[in-house]
Order: sequence, then structure tokens, then C-alpha cells
Amino acid sequence: MISRNGQLLRISAVLVCLLLCTAPVAHAQSSRQTIETVLPRVVKIFGAGGVKNLESYGSGFLVSAEGHLVTVWSHVLDADRVTVVLDDGRRFDAELLGAEPSLELAVLKIDAQDLPFFDLDQISDAGPGTRVLAFSNVFEVAVGDEPVSVVHGVIAATDELSARSGRYDVSYTGPVYVVDAVTNNSGAAGGVLTTRDGQLLGMIGRQLQNSQSNTWLNYAMPLSELDTTIRQIQSGDFSRNRDSESTEFDDNFDSIDFGIVLVPDVVERTPAYVDAVLDGSQAMAEGLQPDDLIVFANNRLVHSCKAFEEELGQLQPSDDLTVVVRRGGVLLTISLTAPRTLPQR
Amino acid sequence: MRHHSLSTLFISITMSLSVVIADERLESLEEQAFREAAAMAAPSIARIETVGGLDVIHGLLTPSGPTTGVVVAADGWIITSSFNFASQPASILVTLPDGQHFPADVVANDYARSLTLLKIDADSLQPITPASAEDIQVGQWAIALGRTYDQPFPNISVGIVSAVGRIWGRAVQTDAKISPTNYGGPLVNVQGEAIGVLVPLDPQKSNETAGVEWYDSGIGFAIPMETITRVLGRLQEGEDLHPGRIGVTFGEQGLTAGRPLLDRVRPTSPGYKAGLRAGDVITHINDIATPRVPHVRHILGSKYAGEPITVTFLRDDAEQTIELTLVDELEAYTAPMLGILPSRVTLTGEDAAGAIVRLVLPGTPAEAAGLQRRDRIISVDGIPVTDVSELRQAIGHMQPDDAVELTVIREGNEESVSATLGEMTAEVPDTLPSAAESADSDRGDEEVRVGRWVDALGEDESRAYWAYVPESYDPGQPRGLVVWLHPAGDTMESEVLKLWQPVCDRRGLILVGPKSSQPSGWTPADVDFVTDLVEEIREHYTIDPHRIAVHGYGDASPIVAVSAFRERDVFRGMSLVGAPLRVPPPEAHPDSPLQIQFMLGADDPALEATEASLESLRERKIPATLITIPDHGHAYPSAEWVDVIARWVDALDRI
Repeated sequence: MISRNGQLLRISAVLVCLLLCTAPVAHAQSSRQTIETVLPRVVKIFGAGGVKNLESYGSGFLVSAEGHLVTVWSHVLDADRVTVVLDDGRRFDAELLGAEPSLELAVLKIDAQDLPFFDLDQISDAGPGTRVLAFSNVFEVAVGDEPVSVVHGVIAATDELSARSGRYDVSYTGPVYVVDAVTNNSGAAGGVLTTRDGQLLGMIGRQLQNSQSNTWLNYAMPLSELDTTIRQIQSGDFSRNRDSESTEFDDNFDSIDFGIVLVPDVVERTPAYVDAVLDGSQAMAEGLQPDDLIVFANNRLVHSCKAFEEELGQLQPSDDLTVVVRRGGVLLTISLTAPRTLPQR
Repeated sequence: MRHHSLSTLFISITMSLSVVIADERLESLEEQAFREAAAMAAPSIARIETVGGLDVIHGLLTPSGPTTGVVVAADGWIITSSFNFASQPASILVTLPDGQHFPADVVANDYARSLTLLKIDADSLQPITPASAEDIQVGQWAIALGRTYDQPFPNISVGIVSAVGRIWGRAVQTDAKISPTNYGGPLVNVQGEAIGVLVPLDPQKSNETAGVEWYDSGIGFAIPMETITRVLGRLQEGEDLHPGRIGVTFGEQGLTAGRPLLDRVRPTSPGYKAGLRAGDVITHINDIATPRVPHVRHILGSKYAGEPITVTFLRDDAEQTIELTLVDELEAYTAPMLGILPSRVTLTGEDAAGAIVRLVLPGTPAEAAGLQRRDRIISVDGIPVTDVSELRQAIGHMQPDDAVELTVIREGNEESVSATLGEMTAEVPDTLPSAAESADSDRGDEEVRVGRWVDALGEDESRAYWAYVPESYDPGQPRGLVVWLHPAGDTMESEVLKLWQPVCDRRGLILVGPKSSQPSGWTPADVDFVTDLVEEIREHYTIDPHRIAVHGYGDASPIVAVSAFRERDVFRGMSLVGAPLRVPPPEAHPDSPLQIQFMLGADDPALEATEASLESLRERKIPATLITIPDHGHAYPSAEWVDVIARWVDALDRI
């Protein structure tokens, strides 16, 4: 009987191996398994706030067994004492190791051992349509020994968060995963976005409103944009060597420098109609005419006079400027070049 | 035993493992299907951008960002959501998936479904493949696609079909996240076939931005491709499509209303011409049974103007069937007027039945018919009226020029009075006795605040207001309420209080002045504050619902008008001083009468624009009047003119 049992065990072991090996191990994980794995690696953070609609809580995730954890750089960390609570209810005071405001990133350390953590060597990238899970302490629903909340969705798009486009008021400029689930609510910032099979994709950012569509954006910053800085802060050889990039609009050129006179800019969205073209100017030589409506400049939509002037302001001397104008019912492309020197003002 | 437990172990390991793997496989297959569906539809999804246009529409900041359109015919036809054009842009640009830009023209709008058809000068486009309408099932995957990011692949949101035949039969509902990032884009099945085109919709509202508040909420709507295919030819011909209207109202309204008993049938409407009359009960439309009012709305909701329908109705226990063709616009409703102010004293005792005439308005049908002050009207056309509200209802259901027989008790004798009704006016009577009869108020032990005070709704400092209640307030006598909306940056509190306090005392009016939360002035969202405040006052004081007016000066005009036009159930009067109308007026509606009064200095530069406002209101048969103050410029009027406004408020309950 015993030998038969041994045989059975061996068979089952072989079967288990076979079953496990039929799918690639790293990816053969259902959402349920992913959730089991990820939850102990995401933490709740409590700090400053609690007044004027500023929440005093947030989320973070562990990146080492010794208690290094990553979160967003926010007002929550601006407290004498920042408390980190693990999924099992253990509480720790956290020390701020370093922060990179231009990446909206902060690294904390708690005094613990043998913690489950995300391996930053195993981060991944994904595209639109990928099923994702987002883990965070959204709305402080999780307290004490409860793990954080999970929501599911798909990656809606990848997009650039760019201060230049004027869409978002944010210091992070770079690609983001836009998610079709409502992932970015109070307290969610610092949580993680993973694929349904458990690959780490990004860190959920703070709440942002798209100033063009007036909708709230649900997004995560890819960890591939953050991991180098995280490691530097972790190892202690981080110095903020990045120039603090100015997000102010440059004002290098005006439409008049190309010989274009726009209609008076009277309302917020005055369409960029050409009022006059200066004699002997580049614009005249290239065939621009009064009443042309400028609709694109260097492939960017020109929705108003202001938008056109902003675009010209960004140009460097001798840069190409391709404008598309609507004349009658057709679009015409006109190529211009910025002057070789900056105008004297 | 041991053998047994081991085999159990074996079975449970393999079973749980196979469940996990099945989960994983299903999830991965579904994920693949989402992406493939998006890829299938992608060549038919265009990006739409607009240039120029307004910033704020219906209180929402309009997006200037890109939106989405769907190619429906190879030779340059693109359908999209009208929401994209709510800002009335100067130019529309379409970018095809291959990056080519085209200028686009609006060919036609479907106002019933918030769709707009665009044409670009291109051919060989790839039209979207419609999903078969019969195959659309609640619970199936539904993938919402847009093209609003600078990316070659469409943006994706995944959900399921939550319902079909929503918004009175017009739309498919989905829990995919629908927002300006995909309005105008397709909702597709896992094969990439279009179920419909995404639009913002709200069952209770019908403008271009209705339903936008629900963005990303899990409640989104798409107009079925079947409908679009059916009307595409008409739209391509440049024909605008409108919701079809029949011209009847029901005695009971709302979503729980009972059987469709006709309350009013508008003269000249298709319903009237086809023979429908008040008192008929609609039993079937197009042979579909309509046991309750929402059934009727559901069938009519999906119909366009110009579509024929059959209506079966019950009159005197006999069923009749008629045919009619729905129209887009009904002739404006004109409210009738007899020309009296009813007494506000509640009758008691033996002679309690009827409505006592408090005042006969000069130059009205009532005066011509010889009605007199203190006459007690006890029946209209032989039907008894027991109180003022029954009289109001009886007259309100008639038309101007209708002859009416009134039975009145005059000095103890019963007399018959014949009158021919006129059109409702907003004229102010030259003299109006105060109706705040009792000088000694009888408030009993009830603790109510009188005099002037300041407070904030719900202790929210952004909802601060001041109020004035006359000392004579008596809960037994319903009072008129004036909501004062100040111009931007100046609450004018002391000035307005000083001018209004005497007239409030004289006429028993209650005055409240909410303060805008933004120093820059009112935002349309403040309408909620205004109506919440009215609600709060009504909770604590006895307010006559027929005498609630909103009053404002100068640049408060938009918020005054938006309050009055949006909250039709609340406001019966709207008074603008030194300003024309800045918001298009609504349609006159029998169940929510509204009178409008303008008051301007004869030298006010806004006079000309105000005369135009008056004209447009009169075209819509909304009772309106313009009072000019001689030798007065753009300034708030003096006490004598404030009394005119108060008199008008005090006469809002005219019948």
C-alpha cells in the first residue's frame, strides 16, 4: 500500500510539474494569484493633511526586503511622523530617504526585515488593451490589518504628460499609462499598476485634471521612468543633478517675425485667422494670404491665436515651422523658417 | 485511510491548478480579443479637432481637446457626437488614422440623438462594420474606442452592455468608461463590429452637453448603429432630424405616472388635428399597449419628427384608432388669463367653497365681464370650484379666446358672469392693496427668525446668505419670496436691504440674498445653491409657491436666467434690472408658468438689447414686460421703482 501511495505521489508530482510547465511560469498567473502576490507588497501611508480637502493618507509599495518603499512626493510626507502600515497591520515609522519632485517620487525606509517586495529588475511595459490591476489605499478604505483595495481595467492609452501642451498642471513630464478604471482618487497616489499576470508596470500618480477635456485623468507613471532614480536614492548615491526644467513658456518669436498679422485676439479662443501678410515677408513669399485660418503649426493643433503664439514662442532660431492653413474648403501646407537670430524686443 | 487522503490531495492539487490555468487562459484570450477588436475598428476611427468657439456651454467649461468620429461611408462621411461642437467652433478638422488632415463640414445634426454628420473631401475610407442589432445582448463585452491621444492605436475602455433600449428607446447602455476622450467613437463588440456611437445622454435633459456629468461613471450611452444606418441617407441629404412630438400632456407625470389620461391637447398640434382631446386615454401606440405614461414616452422617445404613428385611445368607453405624423416644433403654448388676483385668506365656515376675488386687474377679461372685488367664484362652466387652486387649474386648462361661464356669489346672491379669456400678461397693476392683512402676527410658540440675519447653508461658508423676514410674518399666511442675486464683486447688501425693507414689510415679502462663492461672480453651478436656499426658506416659512421670484441686477443676468429657466418648478417670476437676457429663453409650458419683468433706466445702454430680449420672449409666448425709468441710467432703481417690482411679485399669483 505504501509503495502504491509513493507511486501516486510521484505521478502527481510529475503531473503538477507538467501542468506548471505548459505555460511560461512568469506569465501563467491568473488575476487571483496576482492579487495574492501583490497585496502584501503594497502599504498604507499616513502623514500630514486632513484639512482643506487634502487627505492625510496615501499608498506606497515595497522594493526591498529591508523595508525600502516607494511613494509619490506629496504633502502627506510633510509631517514630523509618517506612519507605514503593512497589509498584516504591522505599523512602522518611516524615514524619508530621498525625493525627486520632478518625477513626483519619494523613497521611504522602514525598519523591518524579510518583507515581500517588488523586484525592480522585473518591471515591464504594456500597451493599450492590456488588462491591468491597480492596488492602492484609495479613500482610506483599508485600515489596520486590511490589505489595500484592488480595481481592474485596461490600459486605455499611453500618452505623454507634457506641461508644454498646457493640459496638466504637473511637474512630471513623460509617458504615462492612461487607465480606463477610476484608479486615481484620494489616497491612491503611490499605489501600483500591474498587469493581470502580476508584472509591475507603474506607480499611480496624484489626481490630475485634463485641462483640455476637463476630465479627471486615471493614470500611472511607468516604473521604467522611475527605477534608476529609485535605485540611486536607495543606495544613497542620489543627487538631484537634473536642472529644474522651466515649464514657463518661452517667448522667442511672434507671428510678426514671420510677416503674419493675426486678427485681434479678443476672446479666449479667437481662431488664428490671418488678418494681413506683411509685404516682402517670408509668409508672403510662401503664399500665405489674409483670411487663411491657421489650424496646425508643426503638427500641433492651433485652436486659438494664443496657441499659435505659444508655438512660435518655443521655436529656436532657424527652426522649421510648418503651418497648415484652411483656405476655403481645403487645407494647404506652408513651410517657413524661423529667423536666424532672436528678435530684439 | 491514508490511501484515500493521498488521492484526495492529488485530486485537489490538480483541480485547483486547472482552475487557475483555466482562469489565466480565459483572461488572456479575452485580453487578446479586446486588442483585436480595437485593431479591427481602428481604420474607421478618426480624430476630430476644433478651432475657436465658446468656453462655457450650459455651465460646463467646454473641452477644446480632440474627440473622435466614426467613418460610416467610404466617400468621406463621418458621424460623431454633437457634444464636440457644442462650443460652435469656427473650424472642424478631421485627422484620419494614417495622419492625413482634412477640413470638415457639418452636413446635418440629429437633435434627437446628439449626433452630427461630417463630410470630408476624401474617398476610399474604411467604413465601420455594424454589429447585427439582434445579436446585441446585455452582458456581452463592449469596448469603447476613441482617438484622442497622440497615438497610432485607439484609446480603449472595456466594459459590458448594461442595457438596451435606454433613454426612451434611443440608446445602448454600457459600463465602459465613456467621457470626452471617446464621445463620438464607436462601442464595438469583440469582433470589432460597431454596436453604436458613443454620446453623452441624460434621460431627463436634451441639450448637447446633457449627460456629460456622468463621464467615467460606469453609465455611458451609445446610439445603436441600426438607428444610424436607418437615418444616414436623410442626414447625408442635409436634413436635420428632431425628436418627434405629438402635442399632448398627461394628467400624471414622472416615472411612476399611471394610465395615459390626456390632460391637455395643444391646439394646432398633430394630436389635436388628428382628433385627440383632453380626457382621452391612450391605450396603444403602433399597436403596442401603453398601460402607463412611461410606456407612451418610451415608444415616442425613439421616434423622429416626420414619422407617422397610430394612436389608439379610449373615449366614453369606446376605442378609436387614429393616424398622425409627429412634428419637431409645436406652436408656442399661450397661457390664458382671466384677470383677477385671488384672495389669500383661507375660507372657513359655511361659505367656505370657492375663490374670492381680491382684485380685478384693469384692462383684463375679468374687468370687461364685470367681475368685482369680493365676488366669490363657485363654479366654472358649471363645474364647482371649491378653492383657489381649483379655479387656477380650471382656467389654466383653457385657451385664450375661450368663452367661460362663471357662477359667483356677490353680496349673498348667486350671479352668472360670462367672460372671454385673454392671454396671460406680466403687467404690473398701478395700485395693489397690501395683502399682508394681519398687523399682529400670530406665530404662536414657534421659534422663527424675523428681521434681518445672515447665515450659511449647511454651515458651509461658501454658501453664505442674508435674509429679511418682516416682523409681521405669520405662518398662517403664505408669503411671497424674492431671491436677490447680486452683480459680480458687490453684494449691494445694505443698499438693497434699505430699499426693500419697507416694501417687504408692506407686502409681507421675504427677501433672501445668497452671496456668490467666487469674487469674480456667479458660476452656473451656483444654481444649486440658489435652489437649495429656496428649499431651506420654504422649509422654515410658509411660502406661496405661486409667488417665488428671482431678481438680479446687471451682470447677475445669466445666473438669474439660468435659475429661472432651469428651476421651472420653483420660480414663477424673474426680474432683471439693468440687463437684457443673456441666456436663450425656454419654451412656455402650461405646468410651469413664468412671468418675466425687465426694468431699465431710459438712458441705460442695455435698453436696446433688452427690447430684443422682450421681443424673443413674446415670440415664445412667455409673459414679459419692460418698464423704463425716465432720466435714469445704468443703476439700481430708487425706492419708488423697487415698489413696482414688489407689486409685480405680489401679483404673480394672478389667474
